[in-house]
Amino acid sequence: MTTATGVGGMAALAGCSGSNDDNGGGGGSGGDKLPQYTYLNNPANYNPARHDAINLVGDQLKKVGLDTKVQVFEWGTLYTKITEEFNFSFATWSRGLGIDPGRRMPEQFHSSNTGKGQGNFTGYTNKDLDPKLMEQLQMKDEQKRIDTLFDIQKTINEDVPMHPIVQMPNIVAYNKNQVSGWTDHIAGYFHFEPMTNIEVNNSKKELRGSWAETLGTLSVLGYNNETKLIHQFEMLYDKLVRINSKLEADPKLSLATEWERPDNKTVKYKIREGHKWHDGEDLTPEDVKFTLEYIKKNEIPLYSTQWEMYDSVSVDGQWVTVNFKDPVGPVHKLFSNQIPIVPKHKWESRSNPAKANITEPVGSGPLQFDYWDKGSELSLKKYEDHWRPVKFNRRIWRIIPESSTVWSLLKKGTLNYLPYTRIGKQLNDNQDASNIGVKSAPGDGWWHFSQNTRQKGLDDKAVRQAAVNAIPKKAINEQILYGFATEGWNLVGESFGKFSNPDVKKYQPDDGVKAGKQSLKDAGYVIDGDGMAHFPK
Amino acid sequence: MGKLDFFVRRTVQLGITLWAVATALFMLFRLMPGDPTSYIISPGMTPAVRQRLIASYGLNDPLWVQYVRYIQNLLTLDLGRSFKTNERVINMLVTYLPNTLVLMLTAFVVAYIIGISLGVLTGWYRGTRFEKATVVTALVGRSVPSFWMGILVLWIFGAKLGIIPMSGMTSLGSGPKNFWAMVFSLDFLKHMVAPVIVLAFYYMGYPLLIMRNSMLETLSEDFIDLCRAKGLTERKIMFNHAARNALLPVLTAAAIAIGYAVGGSVLIETVFGWPGIGREMIRAVLRRDYPVAQGTFLVLALSVIVMNFVADLLYGVLDPRVTYD
Repeated sequence: MTTATGVGGMAALAGCSGSNDDNGGGGGSGGDKLPQYTYLNNPANYNPARHDAINLVGDQLKKVGLDTKVQVFEWGTLYTKITEEFNFSFATWSRGLGIDPGRRMPEQFHSSNTGKGQGNFTGYTNKDLDPKLMEQLQMKDEQKRIDTLFDIQKTINEDVPMHPIVQMPNIVAYNKNQVSGWTDHIAGYFHFEPMTNIEVNNSKKELRGSWAETLGTLSVLGYNNETKLIHQFEMLYDKLVRINSKLEADPKLSLATEWERPDNKTVKYKIREGHKWHDGEDLTPEDVKFTLEYIKKNEIPLYSTQWEMYDSVSVDGQWVTVNFKDPVGPVHKLFSNQIPIVPKHKWESRSNPAKANITEPVGSGPLQFDYWDKGSELSLKKYEDHWRPVKFNRRIWRIIPESSTVWSLLKKGTLNYLPYTRIGKQLNDNQDASNIGVKSAPGDGWWHFSQNTRQKGLDDKAVRQAAVNAIPKKAINEQILYGFATEGWNLVGESFGKFSNPDVKKYQPDDGVKAGKQSLKDAGYVIDGDGMAHFPK
Repeated sequence: MGKLDFFVRRTVQLGITLWAVATALFMLFRLMPGDPTSYIISPGMTPAVRQRLIASYGLNDPLWVQYVRYIQNLLTLDLGRSFKTNERVINMLVTYLPNTLVLMLTAFVVAYIIGISLGVLTGWYRGTRFEKATVVTALVGRSVPSFWMGILVLWIFGAKLGIIPMSGMTSLGSGPKNFWAMVFSLDFLKHMVAPVIVLAFYYMGYPLLIMRNSMLETLSEDFIDLCRAKGLTERKIMFNHAARNALLPVLTAAAIAIGYAVGGSVLIETVFGWPGIGREMIRAVLRRDYPVAQGTFLVLALSVIVMNFVADLLYGVLDPRVTYD
């Protein structure tokens, strides 16, 4: 953003000689008024809390001097307007960074990715940052990578094309008479490690949850990455390497018991011996080779990021070697823990795996298929022969769309945990009930405040900083999210531990409106008598 | 015109109506604001993956190509696959429609037995407190939104008193079963009581009011006096003569009402967590899942159109005075 910096710098000089006061009484000496900005909002029923938060931020932006109109669009339209038409000024929804904080950085901020439908919808370009965004993905040395990620965070925090309003936690509500032993994990409580740690205390040792929608498919190669299915496949299938709650690759949780990296482009995995598929067949290194070649050959969309990374796979005894096209940095977070290993004897005859009709999946994970009453219930039962068994007999999920019914059943003990606990009134009202427990841990998700840097005014980081100053984070968290979230300051939140740069600037420490106005004035912008901002002359 | 000609003509009309409905549905969902791809595609996917998925659903083809393919597929009963779950729509209909039918038909039968019986008595005891009470009850039943009644029933008898199950067709964890084994289980009956009562209370008003009016009309006819003159008991006159004659409009109206009832259970299914076609329809519309929404709407339209057709035929069969001109 060299141009914007230049404009900002010159404007700052102009600001020094201006005669405006804090109350905007001066006016007169500014240039054209900044254009009217649009802040696209989702309908209240789609996500009530976010709808309210956006309205609140919209009001604050006006107070800072940015003439902002909040417009409500149905979610699909809103998404198209922002990501394809770029017909917006400000946008907010939920995003998640995943297990690795740097994986999505190039998608969101790289200059080459600002086209229609591509990930960098804010149109942010910074030629100095581009190489760093790519290099961090290929750095094997962790400290070097952290240093680069720190640098990236600092720059983005300064340029603010996208800023966290709040960091959303992982939350699970449960009946504490029946379920205990939760482990915090950045990916969520559904993850392998927390799920194999929890203990269930009821007559049948059943973990009983609910979700609102039908599942549709149980095909691990033919689904669209819906969370409700990720929850199932996480436990039905094993992965080469699992990431534990400390964000480290952990052989105790993984299908591979050892791994080696002879060089930056090769990874070798020693596959666990004596493990079997749920139907009793042996799980061999050949199954791993088959899986990787099969998803590449069939170009399975969901795993394209992964299959585009490697060239070939070979087997030598119990070892599987994967050769990558380019150097890969955090290979276990980007690759090894992403692909579910599927049985060759079940899949090799399927010519169109992405459309395969799978109703009784066979995997090798700690839970195996029990029954699926479509539209009503899914049951997975314990796989006794797993090396990391779960501590309950069955996990049943029942479809119940109505949230007050769900909470009523949880309190009664008919259900004993809510895998999709949503922050809202029900959670706030019920959390103090005597038999309800609520676990909350920092997560990878956040509400972003994104600005379209293609628009006049918003192409100057001073204006963007003023807008970010205006976000009433405290009010949003306390009044709308009942205090369950945390205020967001850094793109990579504190939940990422050593990957989160603690030294990024915190905007709006006290009075956001005052700070926002000040940052406009420092850059030479002029606030007129009506409180609206004008370009510097 | 003969009965056969009438049948053929009405069948052709039925086909044209269905085509018009199918076309209207196709247009309607595509004219609605909103982009179905945003529901298919997770924000975590790369643009290339996104494009690949969109292409695999045929969503980047011109509209007319999509339309021709849609009509061709309809003719072979291929309703496509859900954007959201990738499941065949026809399989979804086979899964969910029986659940709706068993709930709706049970409620319907209960409503018509009670509604017709009360209608006969209400007509017969005209001007009494009994009449006032039943008419008011029927009107309340028709006026109060059934979903609100459902929520009320769930709150009082489910959440507060705990005597009815809160959601679903079976108890949680009751295991795999085939449809008929489930339908004839005690557990299922227990789950069905509340939604059936709520639905029946709503459906009941219609036959009750029609039957009452029809009875009043019939009772004013000469043959009733003749029956009395013949010395028949009041009970015999009421049921064997008046009610039988008054029944005709109720039966033909019932055929049409069945058609509408499939759609009428939409909200009740949502409130009671009943895994039926109506609940899926609402979800499909909200998510812009065109294939599922089209499929479920077509089933609803088909039920109304076919039952109208049946009502036409019934008229002729039940009332010899009706001609087919």
